[in-house]
Amino acid sequence: MSTVLQEAPTAQRTNRTGGAWAAVYALALFEARRLLTRIPMLLALAAYLAWIVWRTPGFEDGSPALQDADRNTQSGPLLIGLAVLLCANAAVLRSKRRDTERHFAVLVLEPWRRTAAHLLSVVPAALLAAVCVAGQFGWAALQSGSVGSGSPAELMVGPLTVLLSGAAGVLIARLIPSTLTAPMAIVLLFFFLLFFAGTVPAGDGERGLRWLVPVVTESTTNALPSDLIGRPAAWHALYLAGLALTLALLAVLAGGGRAWTLWGAVAGALALALTGGIAQTAALPATLTAARERATHTPEKDQTCVRRGGSTYCAFPEWTPRTDTWAGAVDHIKSLAGGTAHDRQFLVRQRIDATYGLAGDAAIETSTTPYQVTVGTAWGGNRVPEFSAAVAAVLVAGSEQKTNALCDGRMVTVMWLALSWQPDPMQSLRNVRLDDSVTGSAIVLSTTDPMQMTAGQTDVVRELLQKPHGSVAARVKAHWAELTAPKVTSAQAAELLGVAAPKGADKCGE
Amino acid sequence: MTPTVSASGLSLRYGGTHALDDVSLRLTQGVTGLLGPNGAGKTTLLRVLATAVPADRGAFTAFGHDPATAAGRQEVRRRLGYLPQTPGFHPDFTAFEFVDYVAVLKELTDRGARHREVRRVLDEVDLGDVRGKRIKKLSGGMRQRVALAAALVGDPGFLVLDEPTVGLDPEQRMRFRELIAQAGEGRTVLLSTHQTEDVAMLCHRVLVMAGGRIRFDGTPPELTARAAGRVWSSTERDPGAKAGWRTGTGSFRNVGDPPDGADLLEPTLEDGYLLTLDGAEVAA
Amino acid sequence: MTRELVLAVWRALPWRAPAAGGILGLLIAGATRLSEGEPDPWLGLALLRTAALAYALGLAFLLDDPARHTTAAVPTRRALRTGLRLALVTPVTALWWTAVLFLVPSDMRPPAADVTLEAAAACTVTLAAAVAAIRLTDEPQPGPSVAAALLFTAVVAPLLLPHRWELIAWVGDPRWAAAHERWAWLLAGAVVALAAGLPEPVRRFQPVRRPRTRPQADGGLGA
Repeated sequence: MSTVLQEAPTAQRTNRTGGAWAAVYALALFEARRLLTRIPMLLALAAYLAWIVWRTPGFEDGSPALQDADRNTQSGPLLIGLAVLLCANAAVLRSKRRDTERHFAVLVLEPWRRTAAHLLSVVPAALLAAVCVAGQFGWAALQSGSVGSGSPAELMVGPLTVLLSGAAGVLIARLIPSTLTAPMAIVLLFFFLLFFAGTVPAGDGERGLRWLVPVVTESTTNALPSDLIGRPAAWHALYLAGLALTLALLAVLAGGGRAWTLWGAVAGALALALTGGIAQTAALPATLTAARERATHTPEKDQTCVRRGGSTYCAFPEWTPRTDTWAGAVDHIKSLAGGTAHDRQFLVRQRIDATYGLAGDAAIETSTTPYQVTVGTAWGGNRVPEFSAAVAAVLVAGSEQKTNALCDGRMVTVMWLALSWQPDPMQSLRNVRLDDSVTGSAIVLSTTDPMQMTAGQTDVVRELLQKPHGSVAARVKAHWAELTAPKVTSAQAAELLGVAAPKGADKCGE
Repeated sequence: MTPTVSASGLSLRYGGTHALDDVSLRLTQGVTGLLGPNGAGKTTLLRVLATAVPADRGAFTAFGHDPATAAGRQEVRRRLGYLPQTPGFHPDFTAFEFVDYVAVLKELTDRGARHREVRRVLDEVDLGDVRGKRIKKLSGGMRQRVALAAALVGDPGFLVLDEPTVGLDPEQRMRFRELIAQAGEGRTVLLSTHQTEDVAMLCHRVLVMAGGRIRFDGTPPELTARAAGRVWSSTERDPGAKAGWRTGTGSFRNVGDPPDGADLLEPTLEDGYLLTLDGAEVAA
Repeated sequence: MTRELVLAVWRALPWRAPAAGGILGLLIAGATRLSEGEPDPWLGLALLRTAALAYALGLAFLLDDPARHTTAAVPTRRALRTGLRLALVTPVTALWWTAVLFLVPSDMRPPAADVTLEAAAACTVTLAAAVAAIRLTDEPQPGPSVAAALLFTAVVAPLLLPHRWELIAWVGDPRWAAAHERWAWLLAGAVVALAAGLPEPVRRFQPVRRPRTRPQADGGLGA
């Protein structure tokens, strides 16, 4: 045994590759992988994708206005946001739950950097939400009947909501390190939403305090030209981004960060959030109100008109691609008519009611101009037979205002013209009537004021639709003048068209 | 001596791995040590014998009762004391309250007798003067002793202790050995540990487990004898040894098949244990 | 079952989480008295449901036991210990719910029996999930996972349930009675699941049963 004195070896500095921030990114990647594979995230993602696949094809009956489709992408990511909040919260609390904080707290990577890594781990989930939002919007845009243009700011709301939820989850975990807090905070959030939705007035209806929540929905389903919508989408996106950044930086502060740059960043983020938050609640600009008035009462100043097959179609610039579809319907109906109506020249004008923006839901008044038909911004589904009914009614009555007087046998002709050319006439008859029935009297919807059918007229129309199309069409053309004469009764019309006479008198004949 | 615990063919799978692979054993009164590397299945075997988890296959009886039925399991548990590997506590309880709580769960219903028993057992583990302290304020070693007291309360006939000396300083370990040796008189104790000195000093039988199977079942002298003539010293690391490490004096201690003329050393229990493990290499 | 056992279980009961849920529930119900203007029965029902959700989230932590592994091998049956915890919390829950119902002004209060059925079903489903978590996993404190699952279900189920199986109806809705019949079925199913999950399993669940071997009389050793 010999003891040899050796010189103490010189301390060697281990090569720290990359430094602290590289470690933060590496930790963030690790946590992100864990976050995306947790069960609540996978379930939320499955439910979100299922919702996209289920809702997108039928959105606005397959002919979406993209300025509505972008808003439609906002509610799905809320589910991802909920899952991200719970999972990010659980991830930060993991070291407290498993009693590893005593060890981790003294490691090289400080707690505030670990908090920053948790915050960054939420970003891939937000990117995933962004990909899904883009997919959903792209699908809507690729549908053949889509018109209009979407707003990038509206599309950003979904991913920003996910970021905001993640930042909130991490902040809650840093402030109150108990596993109970996040679920209770969500319940508290529900409470505030319910309470303030139920009690506090929403400002002037369109702006106001309702913009403080991440996802602001509209109650109407009428599409408007993009420049008349008046939603402060860009300010709202700025507000959400600023709020998410503020919560994130507060979480880093709560995790122990103390650099003065951090305080400055918090101030900057808060400024962003306040700017966006206050600007978005500002009142509507006067120019917008004036533009809406103009579009509602004198749309001809904003519209472009095209001529197709002898008729003129005037639409707002974003809807001009749809004029061909309208022309197709009008040409079908004209081809079935007889006499001079066969070559009638229509003016199909698109009209909206934008006085209250998206919050309004007023019906459009009938026009008095002869042979002018009103068309709305929606298409597909029930809108097609409604437009057909309006065109047929104007063709027979002369103007939209006179369609109110269509209570006699001319209704039979009008309804047959409107429905017989459709792929499934009986289903279209159901769709165009208010109560979805094929028997009895009912209200018939059209693009402006509705019309009325008696039970007798319904029976006649139903029988006509079930007969071979060609024979009825020949009779209609042959007896056009008698069928469209005022005061013709339904019984006479039925006789002319070769079906059984209806029971009961017409409304006008009473 | 009739065995108090008799097991045959115990098997348990976690996913794809056999945590226990056809384990059979008999335990009699006294202290039996369970040695083995990590992942050998020691904790799983102890959990099965403590009725904390049922085995997939095989059976065992303790004191003549079969825990495969609910009634049998109750009977076994009435005679059982279990110290798990990472014992958990209610941190707000005091040491006394926690052991008292476990005593109630062990069906010691008479309050006076129970409190006397709890005090006795806490004195036995040397925690008599910190009875009223909250567990979250106790040191790691003290918490370990609270868990041991919880296992001992009620005077069970069969004690299952999973690495009970973890976290104890040498003086406390000595005290523990005394405790366990005392407990072994008149009781059956199954003790799993990494410390071969504990086994050498305490146990009248030792089991070596690896890969879910029992590799050795005998007395500590028998295990040591396995290494007789197979331990030698050398000045350089011997590549032909099964295991070798550098001692504090600078020479190397090797275990395996010694070359001719090697400087043989007296075997210890640890050497026998190392030789029993299949192909396990110990890095210096 | 003795007084000592009841006292011991009471002492070990994690009261903080249900208490927090209860207090939050009381505050939410009390907020109905703050609403100005017309009494809104929709708001009363919505806030009652939110209060029930808050309490159920607290109940998710009721079966947490940090000493689960230390007390794994005691003769007192798990069904008895868990059952005692549930029995001890039931009268407190009943008192709390009564208070919550009375906090809501009578002109905003929905039919008491129906909304009590909903709250009871929510609490029982939560407890059944906690019991299942204890039975199927080794986790001593499954509370956070159960709470997250409950919250998720509470948010997603009203959106994804098809119309025929709708559970969330509002006052005056013609589907109110049908929806509450479904709630009753949900409560019954949860009670059955709760009772089935209480006892500690004697055998491990095995898809394929193998023949069991008995220990031999002479105690022969296996390999």
